[in-house]
Order: sequence, then C-alpha cells, then structure tokens
Amino acid sequence: MSGSTLEEHRAVERIVRGAFGALTGRRGEALWYAMMDDTPVGVLGLAAGVRGLRHLSFVRGEDDFLERLLAEHGNVAILKSAELDEVRRALDRYFAGKRLDFDLAVDLGDLAPFHRRVLDATAKVPAGRVATYTQIASRAGSPKASRAAGNALHNNPVAIVVPCHRVLRTDGSLGGYGGGLPIKEWLLRHEGALLS
Amino acid sequence: MSTSEPLISAPAAHRIALLLAKHGEELARHIRRIVRDDDTAQDLLQETMLRAWKAVDRLTEGSNERAWLYRIATNASLNHQRSRSRERAALARHAAELAAARDSADGRLGDADRVELWAEVARLPERQRLALSLRMADELDYEEIAARIGGTAAAARANVYQATRRLKAKVREV
Repeated sequence: MSGSTLEEHRAVERIVRGAFGALTGRRGEALWYAMMDDTPVGVLGLAAGVRGLRHLSFVRGEDDFLERLLAEHGNVAILKSAELDEVRRALDRYFAGKRLDFDLAVDLGDLAPFHRRVLDATAKVPAGRVATYTQIASRAGSPKASRAAGNALHNNPVAIVVPCHRVLRTDGSLGGYGGGLPIKEWLLRHEGALLS
Repeated sequence: MSTSEPLISAPAAHRIALLLAKHGEELARHIRRIVRDDDTAQDLLQETMLRAWKAVDRLTEGSNERAWLYRIATNASLNHQRSRSRERAALARHAAELAAARDSADGRLGDADRVELWAEVARLPERQRLALSLRMADELDYEEIAARIGGTAAAARANVYQATRRLKAKVREV
C-alpha cells in the first residue's frame, strides 16, 4: 500500500457510510444498477435513481458498466439492485415485440438544457417512425444545430428508451450510433421502420 | 450526499467502491443478521471494507471476491459478537433466573420456558447460533451456510446438529 493511505482510509469510510445510508433508506441518494446479460443487442447496463432511469448502456460487462458509473457519479452511492424489475419487464416486452414504446420515468436532470431538449424531442418519435437530425434540431429549438443535435444524440445516456436510433441523416442513411450501426439497424428493423 | 467532491481518489478505494457496489447490499444484510442492529452493522460493514481494502492487493484476478468478502464480514461480525459474549452470558443467566422463579407446573411451554429457551439460544456458540439461523430462518443448504460462515459443509451440518440437540435437550428439561 503506497501513497495517501489516510486519505484512502477516509474515502473508504465515506463510501461505506453513503452506501449504508442508502441501503437502510435512512439518508443519502443512491444510484441503483442492474445488468441484462442476454438481450438480442448484447449486454445492457441499467441504472436508476429515485427520479427515474438514468442510464441504459451497451456495455462489455458488469465491471465495464460500473467503471463508467463510478467515473460519472463518483460522489453518490452506487449499488446493485434486484429492484429494477419494471425496467427489465419493459425491455423484455420490447425485445419480444409485444410493446415497442416505453412508459418509464427517465431522469435527464443533470444534462445541459440543449442536450435535454434534443432527447425530449427524440423521445416523442414513436416506434416504427424515424426523424432526421435536422428535424430533431429544429424541434429542440435550434434548426441550424443539426450537428450539435447529432453529438447530443451520440451522448444519449438512456439508449433504446430514449430512441436515438430513430434519428437518421436527411438522405436516409443511418448516420452514427453509440452502440454500433448493426445494433441501430437491428432496432429499426425490429420496430418495422426499415424494410428487411 | 451533499458534497460534489469525488469519493474515489485512489486506485484501492476505487476497487473497494466496485466491490461495495456489487456486493454491498447482501453483505449489509448478512452482517445485520448476525448483529441485528443497524448502527453496529454500519460499523462492521465499514470495518469489513477497510479490512478488504488493506488486503485488496492479495485478491487476485479470478478469485471468488464474493466469498472472500463474506468471510471477512463473517469474521468481523463474529469477533464483535464474541467481545459482547460476557454481557450476553450475564443476560442469559438473568433470563434463566427469571424462568426458574416462575412456575411451569402446567407442563406446557409457558412464557418462562420460552424465555429460558431463548436464553439457551443466546448461550449457543456464535457459529452454532448463526448456522442454525441460516438453516432455519433462511433455509440455506449446508454448502451455502459454509460459504457464509467459513469452514466446510460438513462442519456447518455439525454446527446445526449440535445447536438443535442442545435446544431439544432444553425443551425436554423444562
């Protein structure tokens, strides 16, 4: 053990206090996470706070997802939960093709205002339909900011549920996707927005 | 938490945060089952994670980190309970005196006998009491009990057997 041992000692104490407060429901806010290992689009990491879903990410595995959560939310307790059932069930229904739209609380509270407006506009595109980056930029109040809208969509923390995969280039080509283009294409075909 | 200062300042604390994220909930439940008190459980979870942090370099890739943490948590909790055993023994004697002072002539398991039975549970060695609780309350199999309190499945079975035999003898006696 080298370096700032006392500092680390204090860090560990604070981590545990934060986690325990959240576990006993006595104080503090926590980010609860769960894994879905076996979906048609690979491994998904889910994370939610009290106000709703905050992350739905394509990840390599649990450690990969946790590293990302810790990097982004190092100051709140992060704990594995068996309680994200509602989200899992909604995703199961989605992948089974039984219900392609989501009625889940999503918390985008810590994003910049434009980023949020872009994702809010995207959330209104129904399954089976698509929109263009330009249309989304314009619905977010900045018609000329299609490139910025594209960046905002690329940094969508809640994939699938906020359907950034339904946003395409004006010429109809797929554009980009954080989870990789094959997944974007799979999702659009699954929703019937692309002809096989 | 009100501070925006990141908690994870250095690599070992980072690993502890990962371990706590993955196993914190069940470890807290496990510790609370042993000590049955939230404040004590928080202290012991903290002690568990501090011990883990000090030894985290020895946790090699591919080793069973969950079992490792359970062992640390069990040992920390049992040590804590042992340090309280004198106090508990005094309580048990007091309960037994109470029981003896009452009349149980009607032959049924009355309040006084129940008190005495609980006193006997309190007098059980820690590992026996814990094994019994995991077996009876949680209906775990002996492999799982062993994974949580350490030792082999056979030892866990022996602990449950000894505890049950002792309690049965007590019931016959009253």
